[in-house]
Amino acid sequence: MTDRPLKLVLNGTPRTFEEVPDAERLLDTIRWRAGLKGTKEGCRTGDCGACTVLVNGDPSLSCLTLAREVDGDAVTTVEGVTRETVGRAVVKAFEENGAVQCGYCTPGFVVALSGLLAGRSPPPSTEALLDGLEGNLCRCTGYAAIQRAVAAAREAVR
Amino acid sequence: MFTLAYPSTPEEAVDRLARAAPGETAVLGGGTDLLLDVESGRTTPTELLSLRKLPWRYLRWERQSLVVGSTLPLRALEVDPKVRTQLPGLWEAIVDVGSPALRSRATLGGNIGRCSPVSDLLPILLALDAQVRIVGPNGRREVPVDAILQESRRTTLGSADLVEAVVVPAAAPCTYLWQRVQPVNDISQVGVATAYAPTPPHWRIAVGGIQPRARRLVEAEGLLRSARPSDFEAELAAQEAARRSTFVTDRRATESYRRRLVSVLVRRAIQRTLARVPPVAGGPSSSP
Repeated sequence: MTDRPLKLVLNGTPRTFEEVPDAERLLDTIRWRAGLKGTKEGCRTGDCGACTVLVNGDPSLSCLTLAREVDGDAVTTVEGVTRETVGRAVVKAFEENGAVQCGYCTPGFVVALSGLLAGRSPPPSTEALLDGLEGNLCRCTGYAAIQRAVAAAREAVR
Repeated sequence: MFTLAYPSTPEEAVDRLARAAPGETAVLGGGTDLLLDVESGRTTPTELLSLRKLPWRYLRWERQSLVVGSTLPLRALEVDPKVRTQLPGLWEAIVDVGSPALRSRATLGGNIGRCSPVSDLLPILLALDAQVRIVGPNGRREVPVDAILQESRRTTLGSADLVEAVVVPAAAPCTYLWQRVQPVNDISQVGVATAYAPTPPHWRIAVGGIQPRARRLVEAEGLLRSARPSDFEAELAAQEAARRSTFVTDRRATESYRRRLVSVLVRRAIQRTLARVPPVAGGPSSSP
């Protein structure tokens, strides 16, 4: 067991977590230690994308990431992403296009899409954005509404 | 459960591995494969040795080669514009691994160390004749990737050997093609890689998604004698590739379907690679 406290810059705020077991997944640190329940546990095997967070700006699967492996890094969850202009535009596009049904996969989509759009001017093509979302599964919408939302979000931020 | 160790130098890491009892310590790269095995209990190490603090997270273009540090996430290779144009087959294989969020953790070093038969990266590394820089108790050495792979989770690496970097040519016309049930987020039923070199023997072909490991198809390569094989020669090589490989039936595909896929994909991969060879043979490629 690593005795040192775990340090994360979580949604822009430096946070310190004590007595974090070495085997703890970043997903569990976020949900249970930080209490940020927007990040969802879907498959826990890296297949569904519901647990996607940004690590130093890159979409990453928090279920397949040991918390200690991102010690000192900037971790941004859906709660942090949606405070920013791009994240808000993505949420609005999902709402307006009916891209949310049960909503369980939505935070993963919002984080992944925001990560692909943030700081990119001009934004990647809609096709490239959809390719970038290939790891996010949705069991409700059939994806058509999500595809419309992606195109709308892209228009909104360009 | 396991504890984590964070060696800060390669020597410290090797020393720690050398002192560990067999099976006690597992090497942690990106963890996208290892952590699944740990969670399911397929492997039960008491310690994971993380490579995070080692200075191996780099990508270096040298005159003749691209040197990829073993802990560089695949995502960094994917977004590098030169990788896409200089080594199109390597880029194709990388973007076919999982999803972007998975690729921001998964590594080349991990793919070699774990030696999964379904890795999409091992066939293209074989076709490119990748050299693996290893650091171990007796110092450093460089070994072809072909000499390292054995079977799932088994390599010829010693228990205290670490993959430090992977070296591939700086430019090569090459292709990676696969077949899957679903195009994304799925495991390839088979994957085929071809690479062209300006000097004879010009062609290297490798196949993955077969047991016990990805392998070169030297018999098929032997039928491609010219730098620019005709469609007929490509077809003959493809048939030879299918004939000389051993396939299994599992839940992803039958033995006969895999055999058929290999013959189709080998022919297409040769033709696509050929289209990527610059008109004047010998120069670096910047075509499709």
